[in-house]
Amino acid sequence: MDRMKELAREILAEAKAKGAEYAQCSVSEGEKKEFNVDGGRFSLMRSLFNRNVTITLLKDQKKGTVAINKFDIETVKNAVSDAIAAAESGQPDEAWEYAKEPVEKEYTDGAPECDTDKLFMRTKELLESIKEKHPTILMEQMITEHNSGTEVFMNTNGVNYVTKYGAYTFSLMYSAHEGEKSTSFYGSDITLKTLDKPVLECGKIDWEISMVEKQLDPISLEGKFNGPVILAPMALYEIVLSTIMGNFVGDACMIDGTSIWKDKLGEQVADPRFNMSSEPYNDDVVVPNRHTAEGYETENFDLIKDGKLNSFCLSQYAANKTGNKRSGNTGRNIHVAAGEKTLEEIISGIDKGLLVMRFSGGQPAASGEYSGVAKNSFLIENGKISKAISETMISGCVPEMLVNIRDISKDIANDGNNSLPFIAFDGVTISGK
Amino acid sequence: MLQDILTDKKALFADGAHTELRGQNNRTRRAVLLNGALMGNVRSDVSGVSARVYEGGVYGFSSMAEYTGEAAEMVLKAATENAAFMNKHAGIGKPALPKMALKQMPTQEDIKDAEQKLYVDFAREADAYITKKYPNLVSRTIVAMEDSMEKLIVTSDGASGHILAPRSYMYVVLTAQTDAGTPVELFQAFGGSGVFSDNFADPTKLHAEIDDLYEKLMQKREGVYADAGEKTVILDGMMSGMLSHEAVGHTVEADLVLGGSVAGPCLNKRVASDLVTLTDFAHTAFGEKCPLPVYIDDEGTEAVDSPLIVNGILTGYMNSRESAQHFGMTPQGNARAWLFQDEPLIRMRNTSIHPGKDKLEDMIASVDDGYYLIQSNNGQADTTGEFMFGVTMGYEIKNGKLGKALLDTTISGVAFEMLKTVDMVSDKVVWVSSGMCGKKQPMPVGMGGPALRCKVKIGGR
Repeated sequence: MDRMKELAREILAEAKAKGAEYAQCSVSEGEKKEFNVDGGRFSLMRSLFNRNVTITLLKDQKKGTVAINKFDIETVKNAVSDAIAAAESGQPDEAWEYAKEPVEKEYTDGAPECDTDKLFMRTKELLESIKEKHPTILMEQMITEHNSGTEVFMNTNGVNYVTKYGAYTFSLMYSAHEGEKSTSFYGSDITLKTLDKPVLECGKIDWEISMVEKQLDPISLEGKFNGPVILAPMALYEIVLSTIMGNFVGDACMIDGTSIWKDKLGEQVADPRFNMSSEPYNDDVVVPNRHTAEGYETENFDLIKDGKLNSFCLSQYAANKTGNKRSGNTGRNIHVAAGEKTLEEIISGIDKGLLVMRFSGGQPAASGEYSGVAKNSFLIENGKISKAISETMISGCVPEMLVNIRDISKDIANDGNNSLPFIAFDGVTISGK
Repeated sequence: MLQDILTDKKALFADGAHTELRGQNNRTRRAVLLNGALMGNVRSDVSGVSARVYEGGVYGFSSMAEYTGEAAEMVLKAATENAAFMNKHAGIGKPALPKMALKQMPTQEDIKDAEQKLYVDFAREADAYITKKYPNLVSRTIVAMEDSMEKLIVTSDGASGHILAPRSYMYVVLTAQTDAGTPVELFQAFGGSGVFSDNFADPTKLHAEIDDLYEKLMQKREGVYADAGEKTVILDGMMSGMLSHEAVGHTVEADLVLGGSVAGPCLNKRVASDLVTLTDFAHTAFGEKCPLPVYIDDEGTEAVDSPLIVNGILTGYMNSRESAQHFGMTPQGNARAWLFQDEPLIRMRNTSIHPGKDKLEDMIASVDDGYYLIQSNNGQADTTGEFMFGVTMGYEIKNGKLGKALLDTTISGVAFEMLKTVDMVSDKVVWVSSGMCGKKQPMPVGMGGPALRCKVKIGGR
């Protein structure tokens, strides 16, 4: 740790000596322990020892960035020279601005120490309990890992963060098989602080596996109709939330002016029941992101509050470019507030529609128009889940969906990073064979 | 260039175990201009050493962010211990991998490093051209980039070699607005294998292609939604490349076959019309160098072509040495890793459907009511073979003639059913290589194909 701090100071001093008016650096060391399961059996154990140094500096208000993974002083000094040369090759931009207030903080988050034996035990137990409880499930790939590390972040304005962190992550990709019948694959992921209880009891993994088991005999829908669609948390993220973040409120779409919400701050953009925030300090988040890439301390903020656009999700640079305010963080850890009905109650109110578990689609257009395949999904008929479906496409427009919210579930899925409900939307185009 | 500090470590390899020791450097150079603002100006160099050891049917792996003899010894020790741990707790008692011929592969040409100014200046020149000629655009993004893999591979019982694989591209993204104020976007990647100065010696050579991109964007600005449903389409070469890679290639990667892919029960069966032949090429295809040639993989297997579909019949899988042993096949050099810290996985190299005899114009003329689909921005496929590709550029075909351009849409189908509907194949192959395949790790891949006439489901309104 002391060596990393010392190296960070040397980098900043070197940058200043070479003419940078501002410099910042991240010096980090990390370790990964990982077990792999492929085709239902253990295949690999990995242990990785990593280092990273990222240097960003301004010279004549021109920015250059260099990333390396060496700590020796000669390589680091060469990297500073490269960053200076990169900056000199660029162009001045008054919008570059970094944290100015001196701050010195140290954090320890998640589970910094790995219990390797317990990680293997929980992995083996998870694999065996899925085989026993869900015998049709074939684990195509399972990656269980513990990532830990220490990062020293400093800038020439006196900003100094030291963050020590660690977390266990379980990533499962699986499908159900019976004879030559098989389902589409599905992925479940969860990040944990402890291994105190069996992983199958955490989050929604058990429920998701049980839903995939029910997809072995899908039907093909005939024709095309507009109907209600319930998006499960993963599909909600893939279709709606990632479009909001990428196309409507983020740096690039705001700077280039393609966001259709660029003039809608404070306006109603969604049903009043829809509340979406970015919350690194939500209790469900295992490892919060403590500072932004520009050196600002992070904080929770509301993107959409009671259906109104409360904030964009902008860096200081993008804020300066667009005349808006910098947001509290960079948009990780999305939280969508719960509604009042259970998933069963929402389903019971639908005569004909879909429960979409996963979505595979083309990247939504800047307008929010999208289309793609409803994967691992079910037909809802007469208030109940009926058959699994295959080869069914859905299409719609995210801004229209947001004002056509039918229901939001009280049931929330937490995966250690995001916490999301099921949301039912009216008027989505459903297209079968 | 990496100096060989690894070969003399072979004395430390455990007896009877298959061992790979790899030194690697990945270099990235990137300049990003968004509406003229230099948003990204980044150079990155990541290097280190890794070892993988196979014992009893399981692997141990370790890596360090240092390229020194001491680090090589440490990762060898850690990988050996990890293999022993796995063998003790989860080993399946498999025998050692079949021996391969020891061979030293020739070193490829060194990578010439360039100053960051080259990328920045080139991006600015392209941006200046667009700004001057097309001031009505809502936005423009220019990315000038180069990435490269340099690997020094030493194995216990296979080929060893020193590999250098640079590639470089310019990405141009243009956005216009419809009369109703809706943004419409189109992008194109230019470039291929080689360092930036190899592919982009003269900025003016891009002008005609930028003009063509703008022209298509103006057509898309007046575009229409596709009519959702199953249609006869002509998939142009880039789209059939996506099909080759996503919808077929992944299902015949042996690890995914073991994971239950649809290709398992289909080996030696008809999966496509007899007009379809598909190969994962190593370094040479149709008499020319592939877009991203591979001569040796990271397990020390000399790379040769993998025939996957021959005249509609599924004939093989892509393998690692271990999966080849399992299936009784011959490994062909498909096991590759992206960074020094990544283990080799079964990956495609340059996957393409072979050309046929039809002319594209005859194929379009043969469609009464359908679509000509040219460009995609992303694609995914399932182990069931169900696929989807985003379509960013295409046209209606009405009575054998191209009609209006299409707004963004998506196509989907089930590969081994859809390929049976292929009834015309064009005589020209189009290659693309600018993207990354994502399968645990990223990996540069080439994919290509001729135009195909077939039936797919298309999204829309």
